[in-house]
Amino acid sequence: MTNPPANNLNITTALTDQGLGEQPWWVEQWMELINSYRFKKRLERAWTYAREGNVTSIRFEGRRVHARVQGTDEDPYKVKLWLDVLNDEDWSYVLEALTQKARWSAQLLAGIMPSDIERAFAASGRRLFPFKLQEVRSECNCPDKANPCKHISAIYFLMGDRFSEDPFVLFQLRGRTREKLLTDLAEQRRQVLANLTKTTRQNSDHPESKPICYELPIPTHPAIQNPSLWWQYEGNLNADLVVITPSLDGEGGLNAAGDLPLAEDPKFPEARQRFLNHLHEQGQHLAQKAMLQAMAGDN
Amino acid sequence: MSLLHATWLPAIRTPTSSGRPALLVWADTWRVANPTGPGETPAIHPFTLDPKGLRTWLNDKDLLPDGIIDATACLTLPSRAIKPRGQTKLQSSIQDQREPGWTGLPLQAGEPIPKQCEWWPWQVQGLAIEPGAATTWLSKLPLSGHNPDLGEELRWWSHLQRWALSLIARERWLPQVELSKGECYPHRARWVPLLNREDDRRRLEELAAGLPLVATCALPWREPTGKRSNRITRLRPEAMRESNPVASCRPRSGRLRVATLLEDLVDAQLRKGFEPQTEGLDPLLTAWQEALGSENGVIKLPDDEIQRLATASNHWREGITGNVAPARACLELFTPSEGEDLWELRFALQAEADPALKVPAGTAWAAGAEVLQLGEVRVEHPGEVLLEGLGRALTVFQPLERGLENATPKSMQLTPAEAFVLVRTAANQLRDVGVGVELPPSLSGGLASRLGLAINAELSKKSRGFTLGESLQWKWELMIGGVTLTLKDLERLAGKRSPLVRHKGAWIELRPNDLKNAEHFCSANTNISLDDAIRLTTTEGDTLMRLPVHRFEAGPRLQGVLAQYHQQKAPDPLPAPEGFCGQLRPYQERGLGWLSFLNRFDQGACLADDMGLGKTIQLLAFLQHLKTEKELKRPVLLIAPTSVLTNWKREALSFTPNLEVQEHYGPKRPSTTADLHKTLKGVDLILTSYGLMQRDIELLETIDWQGVVIDEAQAIKNPSAKQSQATRDIAKPGKNNRFRIALTGTPVENRVSELWALMDFLNPRVLGEEDFFRQRYQLPIERYGDMSSLRDLKSRVSPFILRRLKTDKAIISDLPEKVELSEWVGLSKEQKKLYRKTVEETLDAIATSPKGQRHGKILGLLTRLKQICNHPSLALKEVVVSNDFIDHSAKLQRLEEILEEVIEAGDRALLFTQFAEWGHLLKIYLEKRWRFEVPFLHGSTSKSERQALVDRFQEDPRGPQLFLLSLKAGGVGLNLTRASHVFHIDRWWNPAVENQATDRAYRIGQVNRVMVHKFITSGSVEEKIDQMIREKSRLAEDIIGSGEEWLGNLGVSELRKLVALEEN
Repeated sequence: MTNPPANNLNITTALTDQGLGEQPWWVEQWMELINSYRFKKRLERAWTYAREGNVTSIRFEGRRVHARVQGTDEDPYKVKLWLDVLNDEDWSYVLEALTQKARWSAQLLAGIMPSDIERAFAASGRRLFPFKLQEVRSECNCPDKANPCKHISAIYFLMGDRFSEDPFVLFQLRGRTREKLLTDLAEQRRQVLANLTKTTRQNSDHPESKPICYELPIPTHPAIQNPSLWWQYEGNLNADLVVITPSLDGEGGLNAAGDLPLAEDPKFPEARQRFLNHLHEQGQHLAQKAMLQAMAGDN
Repeated sequence: MSLLHATWLPAIRTPTSSGRPALLVWADTWRVANPTGPGETPAIHPFTLDPKGLRTWLNDKDLLPDGIIDATACLTLPSRAIKPRGQTKLQSSIQDQREPGWTGLPLQAGEPIPKQCEWWPWQVQGLAIEPGAATTWLSKLPLSGHNPDLGEELRWWSHLQRWALSLIARERWLPQVELSKGECYPHRARWVPLLNREDDRRRLEELAAGLPLVATCALPWREPTGKRSNRITRLRPEAMRESNPVASCRPRSGRLRVATLLEDLVDAQLRKGFEPQTEGLDPLLTAWQEALGSENGVIKLPDDEIQRLATASNHWREGITGNVAPARACLELFTPSEGEDLWELRFALQAEADPALKVPAGTAWAAGAEVLQLGEVRVEHPGEVLLEGLGRALTVFQPLERGLENATPKSMQLTPAEAFVLVRTAANQLRDVGVGVELPPSLSGGLASRLGLAINAELSKKSRGFTLGESLQWKWELMIGGVTLTLKDLERLAGKRSPLVRHKGAWIELRPNDLKNAEHFCSANTNISLDDAIRLTTTEGDTLMRLPVHRFEAGPRLQGVLAQYHQQKAPDPLPAPEGFCGQLRPYQERGLGWLSFLNRFDQGACLADDMGLGKTIQLLAFLQHLKTEKELKRPVLLIAPTSVLTNWKREALSFTPNLEVQEHYGPKRPSTTADLHKTLKGVDLILTSYGLMQRDIELLETIDWQGVVIDEAQAIKNPSAKQSQATRDIAKPGKNNRFRIALTGTPVENRVSELWALMDFLNPRVLGEEDFFRQRYQLPIERYGDMSSLRDLKSRVSPFILRRLKTDKAIISDLPEKVELSEWVGLSKEQKKLYRKTVEETLDAIATSPKGQRHGKILGLLTRLKQICNHPSLALKEVVVSNDFIDHSAKLQRLEEILEEVIEAGDRALLFTQFAEWGHLLKIYLEKRWRFEVPFLHGSTSKSERQALVDRFQEDPRGPQLFLLSLKAGGVGLNLTRASHVFHIDRWWNPAVENQATDRAYRIGQVNRVMVHKFITSGSVEEKIDQMIREKSRLAEDIIGSGEEWLGNLGVSELRKLVALEEN
């Protein structure tokens, strides 16, 4: 967090040295939202607030964001943020649209937020992301009459990062948790499939062969039939485990997983990087130890 | 003997407990136990060492772990139902009313499985090792081989731990936050292994398929529900089984359980070694990091904060890997049809456990909410599993996006460029994110898709295939991905400038240097020899001028030679040669044929038949064969342990009387070259001991031996021992070729460390230099059980080793049920001296003693002589077993050699002696030698002890392998059918008594062939007894008919004939 929101307003919510280009798309989108805000002075002060750690907590509870911001008062101010929830009808349009493309379900199931997700929401005439900052509803118990006040604005800065922890929190704010969404999606897909099979069966001359799915009783474990298997193991050591080798570059889990999607506490600017660096260092050290241990048996 | 077991005790998560898992180790041990059953709690397992005993035992074996506490756990074990023993009717009827419960005993590993087997919980006493210490302990366990002290599941554990080490070494892990599973339960920080990569996923399947259930059989005991007052109904077996449905509820997915165990091992190790450093971290990360390094991993943070951490860490992990599932998405690439340009990529769902089990995406979509059955694998939510995989695939193979535009995609088309990217790079990346990829066979990677050769070869018309260096007639073609092509084809295809090309209907991948390599090979104009043919058909992937040979087709005549060489077919039998006195069994004729086959090739041969199959006879027949064929022109040197020289002489005398056999032994042996040459005139076979051969090596090396034979070839196993070096030196060719034959009864091919010296003796180049051998084969195989190295090693040595077992089907039909073997032994120097002295002194005394005392004196003499034949200490009434005990008795030396083979083979043996004192001495000696208990049943063993000894020998799965019995006390009545060897260490006048003793093992219930070993000391009174029994002479009938009366009537000269030691 070395670059303050100077007059050029080059603000990043990630509060790191990383440029915008390396941010997930939803963070970028959120940033655009903030940058489109007209009252730059207020934003600057909010930025300082956020940076100095005045935001003491942000919680996603149901469809709302609850936050506490330490202001001039002794007690922190309570801030609430929320978006307009989609009603069931809207959601049914969204679900229908999502079912049209297997890719959307595929990505959501794999934990990836599809970059063109708005197109599915467009079917209901609604959006997932707010289009203007005004669409982000908010409430603060500070004496300032203006909305957004600087407490609310301070939350704005931190929200983008919090979306990275779990992009599906956006769905939650719109009225559906990820679990609920996935269940609904599966259900919806099943209905579509059922209809599809029906039409293909009607259209085709020969009835489609029966799919090979049926409930079978759970087979008994072989050891129940042959109890000597209880103690028996005839496997040999896998050839790849004969020699224990270190990871190739970038093969380690930390490298593959990349940056930890945890919003940073502004008071501890490099905490996340330090955390990862230390894990990395220790990981290499432990890898060395494991290799030594594996070799120790050789003598 | 005890057997160590280990099982995992999962963390018991309660608000108060630390919630750490533990490894429970316990040891099975045999003892007499009464059947028992569960009451309010499971019964105590009656066959385990108590914790104190276990500690001592582990300490003795150098296996005592750190971080242990005494523990008792409830384990589910296969059990045998038995009614309580020794109850009177009255008692049992009372019992029936009071205790309706089940009674029985738990089965032990290795025990025969009864027809009716049930699963019951037992309280097992053992030691619990805390997870960190458990991983250290597991790392030290052997990774291969069978260790008599360790249950097989310990090898499974050591493999799992090896995998954990590999994951840590490759840094394939990620820290996670695990939310509490209920109110008040703590949240924890965990280290989680990442199993998304193809090789790790395969390993999980392997270990899950091989999981011995004992490794995870700890289940909490649930007391049957029901009215407290009605204890009887509650404790009925049905009620207990219902509340503890152990057998029926065995978890289905070994995969998930193994993944959990692995996670526990990885977590324990990383946790132990991790040193938190919290400087500059915010409270969240500080708490997480500290918990990652703490013993129990508990994180204390407010609920919403922990939620954040959990969500973020989960999201972080999701980026690389999904959950462990029974199936995965699979992409199948199909080549374009004729005239088309585009490749087809079909989507499918594939079972993790067996990649061959797959269904097209359409079936997965159609399954809807139902369970999909892939063979035996059940896949719940098949559609979601498939979609999740496709979503993951999209992160590494972008073109896939196009194929996922509709609701139920089944396939898509790829451009040639995209197909190439998939084949070359993306396939592996996809596999690493857990997506299956199936490429067309000709492109599926590996050696087969590279440029190589297809060869067709045959022996030249005149050749009989007898010499290794001879050239073959041959044709060859280039081959890629299973299709053959000419150099011209290759030039044309390379001109297309596309890496994937179609040839003869198949798509193949051309690599940049293919054309150059092919041109190089074509211009070289090579020849191949029989040598090459053998090499190329020995191991897969062997190369000719650096090109892999994908296909080798041998013409019918060459095929015949190769098949015989690789022992793919039984060797052609060779009938017993003229001049051989005796009959060869069919397998012995094949052995003879094999020896002469390798001899023609000038290859050394190791005949490693099981004991009792007649290696001596086959070797003698081979020498006689050479002699009859007029091919035996120079003497052959046979080296054997001193203890079997006598046997060799005996057997040669009776089977091959035409062979001129001489001993190079004793103080009168030739000591100069001239003497030796003189002695060797007209001699076919010279026998000597390993010791003398080494001492006289310079002298013996002056002879141009036609062949060198070593018996009990394990004597040269240590390559650096002088004896071994000398033996290998003398086997090297002299002026002429020298055949090399090794005889051994041990399974040589399984004793990797001993193979090098043996092969260096037989065929020095086959295994390379010793250092190379150690690095390439010995270390990987012995330490890690590396199967590919072992396979390679076996394929290299197997042409030179012929081993038949007495259990082989082909052998069984040739051999009688009971095989009697005479073990001829000599006497040690000391024995000889004592024997002679005793004979002289006693005969003199007998000659001068009054008639009334003669009878007793004669009997006393015979007894004493037989004792001397066993061991001087026995005759001298010593009771202490000295350190050089074995050196004093040739019989004991031979006995030990044979017993070593018996023990190695895992067989059991009865040892009969007529002298109780000898039994006591032998017991001490054998127990010291093999460090296990050797029971001894003799006249003063009480009745109950006898029964216990017999029961244990018959029933204990790890019972004693040797059982000593005195001929009188153990010769009748007992049933000892677990033994398949019977030793008569000393002879008795009456063969009926010996046969009765033999029948302890050879009787109804015996499932194996019984080998009966009768020791006969050559030249001594034992030989005379043997002769009399064999010849059924009048004298023998007298002996048998009228006891020992006749002895008293023998004159001194007759007596002298009977007892005097004859040198032969």
